[in-house]
This record gives sequence, C-alpha cells and structure tokens, in this order.
Amino acid sequence: MSTTEATTNIGHVTQIIGSTFDAEFSEDNLPEIYNALKIEADIKDIKVKLTGEVQQHLGGGRVRCVALGSTDGMVRGMEVHDTGASLSVPVGKGTLGRVFNLLGEPIDGRGEVPHEERWPIHREPPKLADLSSKSELFETGIKVVDLLTPFVRGGKAGLFGGAGLGKTVILTELIARIASAHGGYSVFAGVGERTREGNDLWLEMQETKIGQTERSVIEQTCMVFGQMNEPPGARLRVALSALTMAEWFRDTTGTDTLLFVDNIFRFSQAGSEVSALLGRMPSAVGYQPTLGTELGELQERITSTNKGAITSVQAVYVPADDPTDPAPATAFSHLDAFIYLERKISEKGIYPAIDPLASNSRILDPNIVGERHYAVARRVQQTLQRYRELQDIIAILGVDELSEEDKQIVHRARRIERFLSQPFLVAEVFTGKEGKITSMEDTIRSFEEICDGKWDHLPEAAFMYIGAVDEAEEQARKIEAAAS
Amino acid sequence: MAKARAIIKRLKAVKNIRKITRTMELIATARFKKAMERATEAAAYTKKISEIVADLSNTDLQIDHPLLKSRDNEKNVVLLVITSNRGLCGGYNSGLLRLAQKQLLKTSESDQNVDLEVSGKRGIGFLKFTGRTPSREFLQFEDKPQFDEVEEIANRYIESYTTGTIDRLEVVFTQFESASRQSAVVETLLPIGDLSRGDSSKNKTQHEEEESTTNVDYEFLPSAAEILEELVPASFKARLFKCFLDAAVSEQIARMVAMKGATENAQDMIGDLSQKYNRARQTQITSELSEIIGGAAALE
Repeated sequence: MSTTEATTNIGHVTQIIGSTFDAEFSEDNLPEIYNALKIEADIKDIKVKLTGEVQQHLGGGRVRCVALGSTDGMVRGMEVHDTGASLSVPVGKGTLGRVFNLLGEPIDGRGEVPHEERWPIHREPPKLADLSSKSELFETGIKVVDLLTPFVRGGKAGLFGGAGLGKTVILTELIARIASAHGGYSVFAGVGERTREGNDLWLEMQETKIGQTERSVIEQTCMVFGQMNEPPGARLRVALSALTMAEWFRDTTGTDTLLFVDNIFRFSQAGSEVSALLGRMPSAVGYQPTLGTELGELQERITSTNKGAITSVQAVYVPADDPTDPAPATAFSHLDAFIYLERKISEKGIYPAIDPLASNSRILDPNIVGERHYAVARRVQQTLQRYRELQDIIAILGVDELSEEDKQIVHRARRIERFLSQPFLVAEVFTGKEGKITSMEDTIRSFEEICDGKWDHLPEAAFMYIGAVDEAEEQARKIEAAAS
Repeated sequence: MAKARAIIKRLKAVKNIRKITRTMELIATARFKKAMERATEAAAYTKKISEIVADLSNTDLQIDHPLLKSRDNEKNVVLLVITSNRGLCGGYNSGLLRLAQKQLLKTSESDQNVDLEVSGKRGIGFLKFTGRTPSREFLQFEDKPQFDEVEEIANRYIESYTTGTIDRLEVVFTQFESASRQSAVVETLLPIGDLSRGDSSKNKTQHEEEESTTNVDYEFLPSAAEILEELVPASFKARLFKCFLDAAVSEQIARMVAMKGATENAQDMIGDLSQKYNRARQTQITSELSEIIGGAAALE
C-alpha cells in the first residue's frame, strides 16, 4: 500500500454512529465503494488506528463506511486517508501455518508474514464457463454423513444446528479426519465464534499429524479469525479475507483446497448489525434487506473451477432451532450437502446429533453414489420416517397396538437411530472411547444388515457408539457381562 | 405461522383420538358387565357339572371313557389360540401370542405335530406374519360367544380325539380370575386328565368341604356307564365354552384399561401441545410486532 497515494486523498470524519462512520471528501476525489479508508490518530494519548470500508455514497462528497475495528476514541474531524483500493490480504505459501485477523495482519506473534502478493478481498466469482462440473464423493469416515449426506469433492457442505448441538465439534472432527488425510492446503475462517475455540483449534492442529508424516496439519493450514468480541465490521469481512487466501491456493497452486468456516451465520448477523446503521430498512425478522445478495456474493466465490477445487465445510447457527429463519434458510440454498443437527436427538445422548430425515445431499443419487448406496440410504430413511409417524400412536396407545410390520419397523428404527452415533477422534479425551473411522463399504453393509434384520437379536444399547455393526456383538457381550 | 398451524393440526388429531378412546372405554365397560354376567352364570353350570363328575369319580366305579384316556405316544397336538377380533385392547393379544409362541416352540421341540387353530383376527394376522398358517380360523366369536358355536367345535374335537387323529388339545386363552386380574394361560382340555378339576381351585375346596360333609350314595339309572357317556362330553364342552367366555370378559377388561390409559395419555399430550401452540403463537406475535416497530423506527 503506497502511502503517497493515501496522502493524496484525505477526508474528514463527519459523523460516527456505532460501528459505522461518515467521512467527507472533495467531490472530485470521492473514494469508490469498497475502498479501504485508514484512520490513524493520536488524540490525548488515545491511539486510534482503524480501517473502514466505504459502503455508500451519501451525496455532497460524503461517504458512509463500516468500521472494521472499534470506533472507540474517534472524533469528528479526524483525518481519513483513502487507500484508493479495497482491503487486501497477503496470499501465498507464506501464509501457511499462520494466524491472521481480517486485515491480513498476523496475530500469532510470530512476526512478519513473507508474501509477494496481496489480493483484494472483494473479487468477482469465477465465470460460469470456468466452473468445474465434477461430482465426486468425498469420504469422511463418519457413518451417518457418508450414508445420508455424502460430501462432494469440491463442493460445499453445511452443518446447521441450534446452540450447543455440536456444530463446532463436528467441524473440528472433520478437520481432524479430512485435513490429516488430505494432501492439499486448508484455510480456516473463524467468524464470530468463541476465541477459546479458535485457540483450541490452533493447538489441536499443531498436534495432529498429516497422515504418516512428521509434519503437523498446521503447516498446511492458514487461519483467519474475527471472533465474537470484534465489531460487526470485522465479522462481516473476515470470511472474505479467508476466502481470498483460499482462492489463491486454488487458482495458483491448482491443488484441492479445504475451506472451513465457523460460523457463516455470524456473517449474516454482522451484516444485520450494521445494516440499520447504514440506513437500510430492516426486512423479515429484522435482517438486512440485502441478506440474499451479501451471502450470495460470498458463497458464489466458494466454488471449484477448472484450475482447482475448494471443498468447503461451513457451520451455520440456527437461531432458536428454527430452520425457517431467513439467515439459515438463505445459506441452505447454496450448499451441496446439508446436515441438520436436531435437539431431540442430542437430548437422547446420540452424537453426532444429525437428523437423518432433515439432512440431505445433492449427490445422494444412484448415478453418483451407486444403486446400492442409494437404496440403503433410502431404506434407512423410510424406516426412520415411519417410526417418526408412529411415535404419536405409541405415545397414546402404546406399542402393543401396532401391527406386526410396524412393530418390526419400530424395533429396527430404534437400532438404526442408535447406530447413527459414532465416537469421534477429537472427543476421545472426553468420552474415553476411541474414535472410529468407518469405511464406506462397512457403512453401507452395516445399515443394509440392520434393515434386513440380521441384528434384531441384539439389545439397543449395543448399537451405541460403535464403528461397523460387527462391533455390536462384542458390545452386547460386554453389556451382558456388566449386568450379570 | 407454519409451526403454529402444524401444532393445531396435531392437536386436532389427538383430540379426535381422545374422543375415540373415551368412547371405546365406555363401550368396553358396558360390554364387560354383560360378559361378566354370562361368565358367572356359566360358571355356576360348570361348577355343578364338575361337582357331579367329582362325585361320580368318588364312587368305586371303574371310570372308563375314551376322552379320559391319555395316550403314551402323543403325536398330534392341536393348539387352539383364542385371541380377539379387534385391537385397541393393550397387551391382551400380545401377551397371549407370546405364550402361544412359547408353547409352539416347546411342542415342536419335543417332536410333535402341531395343528394350529386360531380364533380372532389379531391372532391370525400375527401368526401369518411369523410365517405359520393356522389350519382353522374362527372369526365368529365376539364379546358374546354362543354355546351352539362352541359346541360345534367341541364335537369336532371329541370326534377326532376318539378316532385318534389328535392326541391332545391345548387351549391358549386369557383366564379371568377377577375383575382386576387376568392372565394368559395354557390349558390341556383333552385328554380330560382330572375329572374333578373344575374351573378353579376355589371349586375344589368347596367340593372337598361338601365331600367331608355329604357323602351321598348314588343310585345310577339307567347305568353309570351311560351317564358317563353323557357327562364327560358335556363337561368338556362346558370347559371349552368357559374358555371362550373367560377370553371375552378378559378382552373387555383389557380394552377398558387400555383405553383408559390411552385417554389419559391423549389428555397429557393435548396439554403439552396446547402449551406449545400458545408459545408458538405468542412468539410469532412478538416477532411481528418487533418487525413492525423496527421497520417504523428505521423509516423515521
């Protein structure tokens, strides 16, 4: 960023409203929309160092900006420097192993980041002609995910769930499973979540090794954080910063890149926090009227092209467990695989608390996953669906009133329900159970056998927290031994 | 609104179910009273018959009747399972069928040919599901089994037993002990093992008392053998009839209890759902209000 350019165009702060501010420039040198503006001042020993982004032209030489940092200490009349370009972040292999804030400044205390290039965070999404059209399965080793919501290589998967259902745990688990088996680069974007979780993840990544090598996952990963303590402007732009770094890996190195975002809902939320301050009229449920556009601009960039692929996993918070809320509902349409976490399931103590009926994937299609996988997945869903329908009858009349077919369905559904649980690698410390990676073949076979009634004789508890179904027999013996 | 409306829909369904179960409960109560009367009336008859039979057996006469003889080599067994034609009676049928299955397993293990005869749609449906086909199905027995109908079946059994096509008859039914106690039992009706055994132990003690007090010397006319010829089949028929009557009473009681429970469950669920609905409705109003107010404030 050349300082000479910045000094040529100087404006003054005219108004500060929460985390937005207005600045006045001369009419001829009005900064463009999305241009980054810098404020650096030292008033009464209070250092103010702030970057803002132009959002609106108000007329009369004034522009309205979103502050990407705290506006504390700002006063009217402060000098504002137009950088003449939008915010940019360092990209390249130098970013690997490092932790950044949204401005591209390292926050891990390891000094300067070597970089040759900076890319602006506002970019055009890839052209339609450049998009990759491959649909390939991406195995995770988590039974319920692989069977019912198979991930797409180079696609987008969303983890939807209310507060405390384990979105972050599943996301961390996926990082541990995918990133450790994955040769390419990973980018993690922490958007408006707990700082502690970011710290945990950073430490976890330093410990996790890639495959059989001695190198830790962090060496192939770059992390960008704008957590919940930061002002809305920061949370609004941090996803773009992370995405820009991921785009560099995709476009320049051509490798498969992983992009993890926790939590995309905070992006929408930050937008709604500044929306009213920018003078937009609130739309449904108080969200910004531009909700769809904002999210679309972000999501359309997370995509695979002919040059390389970005496989992304995003956590989406569902406010008040209501999936019809506009923010998650908007995010939903952008995703290839959709995982919905259900409170009722987590209340039963089944983790991951994935709702097998509400979750879905674009590639759960016999042409892509194969006839057998498709048939088994649909059978599992049919069984569980029927069980759910029968639940009211059971609650009122009791299980005895069901027909024999329905009794059998209930019997199997209860086993399937429990079999959908799985011990996680990252939860080993807490549960004391070894994490299980189940191969696709084992997963399909296991569910097929349960549906066929091969394991009807085992007690329900034998199906909790195991890998392939064969382990149920051993667990049943253990339970019996403990009981006697 | 979608959520509130879905709750209303469920609420209506549950209310309808409650209406049905409550009606069923009332009907079962009325039927139970009638069936109970019939059962107690029949009990008097069976009691008398067993008394006479007991007295007969008390005499020094050589009792000899084909229906009384048990065979050493029991090859063909008939298992008669008495279930209900209608559902909504709680664990009544499933308890019976569980016992019947156990019995089936036992007889097939001891290498006997089992001929399955089932009364009631529920039992037929269940056995078809488990892959067994009953050789005979009866659907005519409701809450008022008629003696004529039972007699017809009884006559057939008597004939096949005397001709030797069956060696044993077992009946799985729900025994009516008292209004608060019924249990699924397996009873062997053929061969009639112990003649004096009436329908319950209560009769036995009564009869023992009588025995100690009155020891009547009978005079048989025309002859003991002829009386026996009449009496033994009659006793068997009465017992079989009693099984059907017991089953009918027990079914009504089971239905009464089950429906009472169901009505209560439905009531609880209605409470839950109403609360949920009120909450959903209130949430919606609040959010709409805040949207309008927020929108108006933003416009100022």
